[in-house]
Amino acid sequence: MKRVTLALLGLLLIIGLAVTASEAGKLLIWADDTRTPIMLKVAEDFTAIYGVEVIVQEVDFGGIRGQLATAGPAGEGPDILIGAHDWLGELILNGLIEPIILTPAIVADFNPVAIDAFSWGNLLYGVPYATENVALVRNTDLVPEVPATFEELLTVAAALTDLEAGKYGFLIQEPDPFHTFALHTAGGGYIFGKDADGVLNPCDLGLDNEGSIAGAILLDQMVKDGIEIAGAGYNEVTGAFNAGDLGMMIGGPWTLPGAKAGGINYAVSAIPTINGNAPGVFVGVQGFMISAFSDNKVLANLFIKDFLISSDVMLGLYIEGDRPPAYLPALAFLAGNEDIQGFAAAAATAVPMPKIAEMGSVWSAWSAALELIVNQTQDPTTAMQDAAAEIRALLGCE
Amino acid sequence: MIWRFVAKHMAKVVLLGTLVGVSIYVCVFLLAKGMYIPAAMPLIGAGLISYIFLSEKRYPLRWLVPGLLFLTVMVVYPIGYTFVSSFTNVGTGHMLGKEQALDQLLDRSYAPENAITYSFLAFANPAGDIALVLEGEGERILYTQGTASAIAVDDPRLVDEDGDGRPERFSNYARLSIPQLVPRLSDLEAYRIEYDNKIIGLQDLNEFRTRTPLYVYDAEAETMTDQQTGVVYAAMEGIFTSADGVEIYPGYKVSVGIRNYLALIRNPQISGPFAMVFGWTFAFATLTVLLNFALGLSTAILLNDPFLRFRTLYRVLMIIPYALPAFIMILVWRGMLNQHFGIINKMLVSAAHMIDYAVNYVAVNVFHTTAVLFGDVTKIPWLSNGMLAKASLLLLNLWLGYPYMMLICLGALQSIPASLYEAARVDGASWWQQFWKITLPLLLMPLAPLLIGAFAFNFNNFTLIWLLTEGRPAIAGATTPAGQTDILISYTYRLAFEGARGNQLGLAAAVSVMIFVVIATISAINFRLTGALEELSKNV
Repeated sequence: MKRVTLALLGLLLIIGLAVTASEAGKLLIWADDTRTPIMLKVAEDFTAIYGVEVIVQEVDFGGIRGQLATAGPAGEGPDILIGAHDWLGELILNGLIEPIILTPAIVADFNPVAIDAFSWGNLLYGVPYATENVALVRNTDLVPEVPATFEELLTVAAALTDLEAGKYGFLIQEPDPFHTFALHTAGGGYIFGKDADGVLNPCDLGLDNEGSIAGAILLDQMVKDGIEIAGAGYNEVTGAFNAGDLGMMIGGPWTLPGAKAGGINYAVSAIPTINGNAPGVFVGVQGFMISAFSDNKVLANLFIKDFLISSDVMLGLYIEGDRPPAYLPALAFLAGNEDIQGFAAAAATAVPMPKIAEMGSVWSAWSAALELIVNQTQDPTTAMQDAAAEIRALLGCE
Repeated sequence: MIWRFVAKHMAKVVLLGTLVGVSIYVCVFLLAKGMYIPAAMPLIGAGLISYIFLSEKRYPLRWLVPGLLFLTVMVVYPIGYTFVSSFTNVGTGHMLGKEQALDQLLDRSYAPENAITYSFLAFANPAGDIALVLEGEGERILYTQGTASAIAVDDPRLVDEDGDGRPERFSNYARLSIPQLVPRLSDLEAYRIEYDNKIIGLQDLNEFRTRTPLYVYDAEAETMTDQQTGVVYAAMEGIFTSADGVEIYPGYKVSVGIRNYLALIRNPQISGPFAMVFGWTFAFATLTVLLNFALGLSTAILLNDPFLRFRTLYRVLMIIPYALPAFIMILVWRGMLNQHFGIINKMLVSAAHMIDYAVNYVAVNVFHTTAVLFGDVTKIPWLSNGMLAKASLLLLNLWLGYPYMMLICLGALQSIPASLYEAARVDGASWWQQFWKITLPLLLMPLAPLLIGAFAFNFNNFTLIWLLTEGRPAIAGATTPAGQTDILISYTYRLAFEGARGNQLGLAAAVSVMIFVVIATISAINFRLTGALEELSKNV
């Protein structure tokens, strides 16, 4: 029965895609539920001025990457899609997206980190609209002062933690390298090093260097001290925070709507220094890309450059999506916004999330290592060394 | 009499006509997309159906054909496609067909020093045909009806009424304003204007530009030559690679023979945990079927007792786990089983407190009884300990699956003649003897195919594993991304999609084929064994 349902759903999807396939003279945009309303408004303007039909199709954000791989080559993909910069490696390797040429004056209007994130070699493959990174999010009723150091943070957290009563001082969602990365970077950990020409070298793996292991040992100590706990996934951590049971967490802009809805007084700040070193965080960038299989590339370029690159649209995307705009004139409007300042402070030492296709193996091996540490199954040094060895073997870098 | 005969055949002709019409429409639709083999399918199908329904000789086939057609489309085709894919390197970097990859690479251009940029004016006649006048570096080119030619500034066909140097009309073509031009941009984009040994293409709203192909392809030698740098890239397993190892993307699918299968055996990265994962997959499927069947049968026998009161109520209550969507319930259970936040551990804490309190009340100054007896029950790692995670999976699957077994057992129990039991009682057989000699053998005969089906389903029960544990917890010291609760299909998923470098669909297809072979073999053996049961039933 399940299979029949799945088959029917698949059939419906294919029919649905076939009906709204990209056609010459018509623009098809893939956007997720958060961005669709904004894109619909812009599409209306475009149609009003030029009489060109623009269809905005809602696709689950995480599903866009996979569906493009099948729909694009079949001639049924979109002209414009939204996506995350760390998809770039896979999309380019598969020949699914097209470079976009922006004049230097327009490029200067964007956050340089965001432009860097969407660049591959010397070509730009997407127009960024938002950056996102994690920061320290704290409940100001429970933790009124920003801890000056990570050591102080742990002391405050230990005082707040009472597992029996369901009260927690500080949680990092686990096992999740994206959120734990800060612990590793403070001591000099990294994922992939860069070659002399600035391209990431998948064989220069920094997951088992001294700094990365120091971060793992710190995490292990947090577990032993009863601060960090097993089974604290995204839902559990944000759930506890939104209920007022959690003092501090490492969280991104996406956690704020829930906190607001829960009536929590919160503040966002940089993650405090560990042993005097500022921890780095990952920056993810979202942007607009053009399908390589589009028959309307000039039209799509026009739509992006003349209609999407504007403060109005970028601010609209911020209001819907809560991520700081990558477009500087729009960001300037938000200069007084404390949340954005907090995330910006945390992003001061940020690195773009690696976008090479090899990251798949890193995420899974690294998650496994963190899980073994949090479950107290393996000691942190061995866990990180095993993970690094696994990745090197998978990528053929012995 | 006669008009009924005509009416009957009219209906047949009309229905078959509709079918043929629709299939021709679908065929043309697919042909327009260049999908030639899928396009042939509806025509062949419609032709076959028409023949079968019009020929009296093929009468019995009429009842079989619809099922066979669906079997082909939904089962045989996907299996065949998977089988074919397992011999290719399809995956990240090799998603496109060779044609598509070549098209894309050969369409790439670069701007050499002598590239020419043309400003342009576009005109359209009432029929919507486009004429272009390009102007750049002293050249004026007229492009209309697919041909390019030089055109003089004072060509009489160009009419400049207001004298601003930008003609408003070209013979009966009127100049397009920007809002009129934009809807036609995609038509202009498709033009490749060949003029004076140059290829000119649309660059943006304002200009055309000469396009110099970046690559030249030599089909004989299968090499791409970069016109800008002169580097030669040779086709290497579906990707153009230079002598010093630089690759140009996208690559394309090529056949790699049995390499994907060899990797499963030879590559220790992949074959290492294979035996362990296979063992757990087998245990998971077998234990699930055994446990679910045992509990389902027990409850069915209980509910089948005519002297039991509130039978209907119990039946409804027991069917609830089956009636709720499994997808949601697995996630709910995942939350309940969470070590620190889950309700189950929280309830255990409360229970432990109550017991401690009660013991302390009876025997003064005895504390922490439960902790002494059972250890720390407050933090049972349901999902983060390997053995417990496996037990959780089996228990949850039991909860989800036993009502189904109960339902089919209830039905099958009705079909066992009561006279057999009467005869057994007359002969003085005990309840257990009746169960082992009558109930079980007679139940197994009709239910065996369903049990085999349940085994095959659970052998591939990706949904349950992925939603409850994601194959975790991780194995300490593992050399691949395999977890302790990974079954073959979830392990395949990890290998293919989290393995090394993007997706390795070819490898995943190879593992799928292996799983198919394993399940087919097990099913065949099982059917052979249940054939023996039928022998037995004849003797009852």
